[in-house]
Amino acid sequence: MSETLELIDEEIVEKVRSGDHDFYSVIIERYKDKLLRYATNLVHDNDKASHIVQDSLIKAYINLYGFNIKKKFSNWIYRIVHNEAMNMVKKYKNEVPILDDFDFESDEYILKEFEERETKIYVEKCLKSIPIIYSEPLSLYYLDDKSYEEISDILRIPMGTVAIRMSRAKKLMKYICQKN
Amino acid sequence: MSKELKNITDNIMDQIHEKKIKMRPKAYFILGSILTFVGLVSSVVISIFLFGFIRFSLRTHGPMASYRLDQILSNFPWWAPVLAIVGLVMGIWLLRKYDFSFKVNFKIVIIGFILAVIVGGWVMDSIGLNDVLIRRGPMQGIMRQYMQDNNIQGEQGSGSGWGRNLTHSNINDTFHIDSEVPNL
Repeated sequence: MSETLELIDEEIVEKVRSGDHDFYSVIIERYKDKLLRYATNLVHDNDKASHIVQDSLIKAYINLYGFNIKKKFSNWIYRIVHNEAMNMVKKYKNEVPILDDFDFESDEYILKEFEERETKIYVEKCLKSIPIIYSEPLSLYYLDDKSYEEISDILRIPMGTVAIRMSRAKKLMKYICQKN
Repeated sequence: MSKELKNITDNIMDQIHEKKIKMRPKAYFILGSILTFVGLVSSVVISIFLFGFIRFSLRTHGPMASYRLDQILSNFPWWAPVLAIVGLVMGIWLLRKYDFSFKVNFKIVIIGFILAVIVGGWVMDSIGLNDVLIRRGPMQGIMRQYMQDNNIQGEQGSGSGWGRNLTHSNINDTFHIDSEVPNL
């Protein structure tokens, strides 16, 4: 198992392609939480985000041979989630999204955790307030630690556009968050 | 976190083991890439040909084109610009499927693509490459039909483009540029 953990995504994909289908569970475990957070930031609904992540991982498996092994799997799977999320946003664009309450796993949480959680909710609220074209690169950059180049790959927009959107998103965040 | 997500690994892996979901074969994607490429090239070729064809059909009405507007309107092959535009749109749509396309500003890609097709059509028409297409190319049927329908007779192989040397023999039409009968 430790050997599996050392394998990079593209090597695992190669193994799945060559017939070791069980290796796909490693990919799922590696990405499901990150993808859920990303999808939730896009659709602002945990259940819809879960569906998006599951459907995206199934689509990725079905189209695994369509992935270029010389590129980053991470960007590819994020792109699939982006497309699925955009379809969902278009489908339910008239609905007002409601963010699920966060469940606390334990009654014993320290003040720091509470503050972090509050900050997270606050940031998510701010993110919800700005248009998706600005909130998405911001969330990818700060929450998913993606570089501008990776964001460009995921969103299929030029690097210059990523920089412009990031700059505008920061200004919008500052304005909205300070106002609130 | 929803229960569904907690079980997501099991859900997907069960479907894989039960073969409810299967990977598409490699050939599917290779064929898709080939067809996309062929479609892109075809749409460019068709667009260039049709732009050349439009120039040709405008020229067949003679140098006094402004006085022959009614003839242009009645004889002009309107399907050609429609098909040319469809070819362009198809080409642009297919171009978007390529990985590199998003890295360049898409407005520049569209403008560049349209300019390339128009310039390509003009160059082909100017250097007479269209004559080769009329004689040998897959488009010869369209040209022959058009020339027959409009009583246009043209000399081939002059190297100066479609309709440079042609005879227009409509009943009400009296201009003659060249009276040689081509071997179409």
